[in-house]
Amino acid sequence: MTGSTAADLSVERDEFVQRKERLYRWIFAGCAVLTVLVTVGIVITLSLKALVFFGAVSPVDFFTNTTWDPLINGNYGVLPLISGTLIVTVSAAVIALPIGLAIAVYMSEYASPTVRAVLKPALEILAGIPTVIYGYFALVYLTPILQGPLPISITILPTPVSLAFPFFGSVTLSEYVFVIPSLRTFNALSASIVVAIMVIPMVSSISEDALNSVPDSLRQAGYGLGSTKFDVSTKVVIPAATSGIISSYVLAVSRAIGETMAVTMAAGQSPKMPYFPDILANLTNSIETMTAAMVKIAGAESLGETVAYESMFAIGLTLFGMTLLMNLLAELIRRRYREVYD
Amino acid sequence: MGSNSSSGYTTDTRLRLQRAKGGLFEVLLVLASVLGLAALVVLFGFISFDALGPLGASPSWYIIYFATLVGPTGGYVLYVRQRPAVRKVNDQAFAAVVGGLVVSIFLYVVGDALSPYDVLFYFVMAALPPLLITLYAKYHPRRSWTGPAIIVSIVLGVGVGALIYDSVISIIEIAAAWIAFAGFTTVPALGITYVIFSIYKNKRAARRYVIGLAVGAILVVGVAMGLGIDPSFPLVLYSGAGVPSIVLVANVVGGQTDDGSLGLLGPVIVVSGIVAGGWLERWFGISGLETWVTPTLLLESWSSTTATEAGVYPQIVGSIVIISCMALLAFPIGVGAAIYLEEYAPDTGIVGRIGKLIEINIANLAGVPSVVYGLLGLSLFSNMLGLSQGIVIVAAATLGLLVLPIVIVSTQEAIRAVPDTMRMGSYGMGASRWQTLRNVVLPEALPGTLTGTILALGRAIGETAPLIIISLPTTRFSPPSGLFETGTALPLQIFAASASVISEYRYGVVAASSFVLLTLMLLMNGTAIVLRNRYEKR
Repeated sequence: MTGSTAADLSVERDEFVQRKERLYRWIFAGCAVLTVLVTVGIVITLSLKALVFFGAVSPVDFFTNTTWDPLINGNYGVLPLISGTLIVTVSAAVIALPIGLAIAVYMSEYASPTVRAVLKPALEILAGIPTVIYGYFALVYLTPILQGPLPISITILPTPVSLAFPFFGSVTLSEYVFVIPSLRTFNALSASIVVAIMVIPMVSSISEDALNSVPDSLRQAGYGLGSTKFDVSTKVVIPAATSGIISSYVLAVSRAIGETMAVTMAAGQSPKMPYFPDILANLTNSIETMTAAMVKIAGAESLGETVAYESMFAIGLTLFGMTLLMNLLAELIRRRYREVYD
Repeated sequence: MGSNSSSGYTTDTRLRLQRAKGGLFEVLLVLASVLGLAALVVLFGFISFDALGPLGASPSWYIIYFATLVGPTGGYVLYVRQRPAVRKVNDQAFAAVVGGLVVSIFLYVVGDALSPYDVLFYFVMAALPPLLITLYAKYHPRRSWTGPAIIVSIVLGVGVGALIYDSVISIIEIAAAWIAFAGFTTVPALGITYVIFSIYKNKRAARRYVIGLAVGAILVVGVAMGLGIDPSFPLVLYSGAGVPSIVLVANVVGGQTDDGSLGLLGPVIVVSGIVAGGWLERWFGISGLETWVTPTLLLESWSSTTATEAGVYPQIVGSIVIISCMALLAFPIGVGAAIYLEEYAPDTGIVGRIGKLIEINIANLAGVPSVVYGLLGLSLFSNMLGLSQGIVIVAAATLGLLVLPIVIVSTQEAIRAVPDTMRMGSYGMGASRWQTLRNVVLPEALPGTLTGTILALGRAIGETAPLIIISLPTTRFSPPSGLFETGTALPLQIFAASASVISEYRYGVVAASSFVLLTLMLLMNGTAIVLRNRYEKR
């Protein structure tokens, strides 16, 4: 550096390079902004078409009418579809959430590295199986298997029983047989089971991440106090990871709501309101979910810009709203209730 | 503690109860995990059982294949496992053969569907300008403009290509089809070989190799013509799988040490086992598997009346074309977005807050049901842009939007895993942000990015609902002939045929199609998992 002038030693990059650096920055920023545009695009396109639809069918009718029959009579009540979605989602959640959490606890607390090395890729493959194959499996293989032992009747009261009460007089209970009815070809039960299988990996992987991030010092402290492994797992680790577990539950439910092919193929396309006292009938009968209704409309041939076509977007918007809320909720739970350990 | 202990240790039953509770809990956890595994086994088991029909084969069939394929391969694997040098060469050999086969089948099938002349034309228009610029830049002192010029030249090249397509294509079509195939398979294969050899060895060796390989290509064409078959597929196979294998063999055998040269035997043992088994099977007239995964299924088009004549070739090719086109669209955008979020976006201020918003938005997009993407594609591409319904490019773009979050998130993770010290080192040597990215961060993050992209492909190949919404036809009798032509996809055919009451379809053709789809998915996810495991170990 001896004797050089300042101009020779300029640390400034030349103009062109600076401009290039800026250009690349803008290109990358553009890519990132594009993802926001996708969301905006979804909201705008769905809303525009849904608005057209609500011009023809009043929102009150859409959300209160109990018949869904867009292609023939033009009845647009979304309740039967929501009922179908809820039946599948709730039953799938009942199966998947406990099993998913159990797998997560097993993998993070009990399993040896060898077992983990088998279990983890297996779950990843389970998560990667196309939903259309789940649907095919449910329709062609699972339903006949479940159908095998059905209908089952369990006699609870073999003969009428008369009970005499001091003040009310006598009450006669007629004989009662509990019946699990046989399945229809299309039924909500097998659809729920495959949807459950589908979301188990999601629950287990997110929950396992949450369980793994609980610091080991907490476990050691538990053992130091004389706790058993069971106590440490259920009273220390799981409570510490609650936020992650709940957010995995919410995401799994949201996934089950949006699931399309498996429920379309296995649960059928006959929209109906839930059977109330006879709850089992909801599972053994064919139903139609919101997603299946969209597939049915899209699959109907030679459909122009009719009300039925627009109704697809109204359901889509409802669906998008539901899943968006749940995803935001999961994110919120994870952020707000996360225990921070340093 | 002291006050508790007397009651705790004297009441033996309480302790036993505690232990029983813990044991029961563990049994329940194991049961749940077994259930998860069982679901996988049952699903794969049922579908592959019906697709492959293992009961149809006579016991001697199993004995033959055990003797020719399973036994030798098993013994070889046991031998290789203990020798790291052999294992390394073995891995490379399988990568060259299997990877080469996949690449050549892909290139041939796509070229054949879209017309080899079109593929060659656009390949030349997109590849020639950047190549010329790179060569020119080697002899030009100021290189800072090369990068932007390459991007611009690709876009310009494709654009100009689209304009002059009509007047030029008829001239190209004078040549035989195999020449067109050679243009986009053999020529690049030789070019890549030349570049690699001139970097790792010297230019003379590179020239010698390329001339030798070119003579081989001419021989392949000559033999094929002599036998009276179309030389296109043999040539593509030679360029895709033959060239890498030959280069590997020459490298290992011609190397100074011959530690691992036995590793080259791996693919030979497997292939010769299959060939020998097939030969013996025919020789003794043994009944093989009653499989539905037949050449008819893989190479013919659909028949809705005769199950034994039904095939899904157009569907498979449609899926492959859609998925590749999707990858071309989603990969650059996804990686670009991830680069911005990880390397450029500040943590604070308004821009920082926008960056956080974008990240939350991406997490949400990952959870949006796939049917909704179908609606977006339908109204965005078909209704607003006026593209006709059910064409390949619309399907590719729709699926591209769907997998964008997967690509972004996995690329972000890969970039985040690059240690900061490497960036600091690069900055310390005076590199700019882009130079650091291009020379340090991106090469390090490449395996993770590829893993994410392959996972995204695996997800996209099974997607059905969005394709139904954008009304892709389920059954077509020819593969898509262009990106703006109608095409179909494999899962759509499975959906359409699954409700068939004819049991030959229900348990035969559909099971076999599902088996093919599952195999494609497993190939992709398996590659991704292997890649990730290797990368994590490093």
